[in-house]
Amino acid sequence: MPVSPADTAAGQSGGVAPADDRYLLVQAGDEKCALPLDRVRRIVRSLSVTPLPGASAELKGLAEFGGEPLTVLDFSRLLGAAPGASPAYPVTVIAWAGPDESHELVGLQVDAVLEVVSVPADNIAAGGDGIVRGDVSLGGEPVRVISLSVLGSVG
Amino acid sequence: MNGVSGERVLLLRHQGRLWGVLHDAVRTVTRGHDGFRVWLREGDITADHVLGVIEDLRVWPADGVLARFWGEKVGGLAILGTTPVVVVDPSSPPAIFRSVSGPESSAEPASDSDLGPDMGKTP
Repeated sequence: MPVSPADTAAGQSGGVAPADDRYLLVQAGDEKCALPLDRVRRIVRSLSVTPLPGASAELKGLAEFGGEPLTVLDFSRLLGAAPGASPAYPVTVIAWAGPDESHELVGLQVDAVLEVVSVPADNIAAGGDGIVRGDVSLGGEPVRVISLSVLGSVG
Repeated sequence: MNGVSGERVLLLRHQGRLWGVLHDAVRTVTRGHDGFRVWLREGDITADHVLGVIEDLRVWPADGVLARFWGEKVGGLAILGTTPVVVVDPSSPPAIFRSVSGPESSAEPASDSDLGPDMGKTP
């Protein structure tokens, strides 16, 4: 069930938000997270992963995507989120991680993809320099706004 | 990923996973009582099975995210069919490969030799 960013964006209601303000809302453990939509390449059913011995808990392992190797991360572990209910349809979000000049594709295993949302930058309460850029309230629920540019060899 | 290269790779199975070693880094392979020993330019590694040599296997560099979350040095990554293959760095193979040498088996063979007849074909 590949879904392109364009497909996911088409489902949102209302006017067209600036590209930088659009996020893919996902469930990761007990956390709702907003991934920058311009970093999302594809959403697929949870990829079959080969675990690596001695890897940190955040690293699910390696998978094949489009004939190429792909590093897959457990996104809820990456956030330190408590486990949620067993997901009915876990998915892997294929996204660009790292700084713009040296980004790479990674797989982010999440429990569910929810919807595309618009989050104006002014609404985000700054959260630091790490992968959690900040927090925002959507529909009365807290959502962690993610920065994938810091996800790389450092940070 | 960038920097993809076609390499001649010795394919191994160890601890249920597929691994590769750049053929140029392999000196010889010997069979032991509990598997195989692959003698590299720098040290040696053990393997449960030696599957063969693959010509022109596409090897991608192992990029930042993998390095950040896996403490092992990696020579590259490849795909065989749909299965990921870690190409080991011969100077620093993952811990899972480090051989437990017994006194009777720790000596390197007296001379290099060609790979055995069971290693000339891809699986």
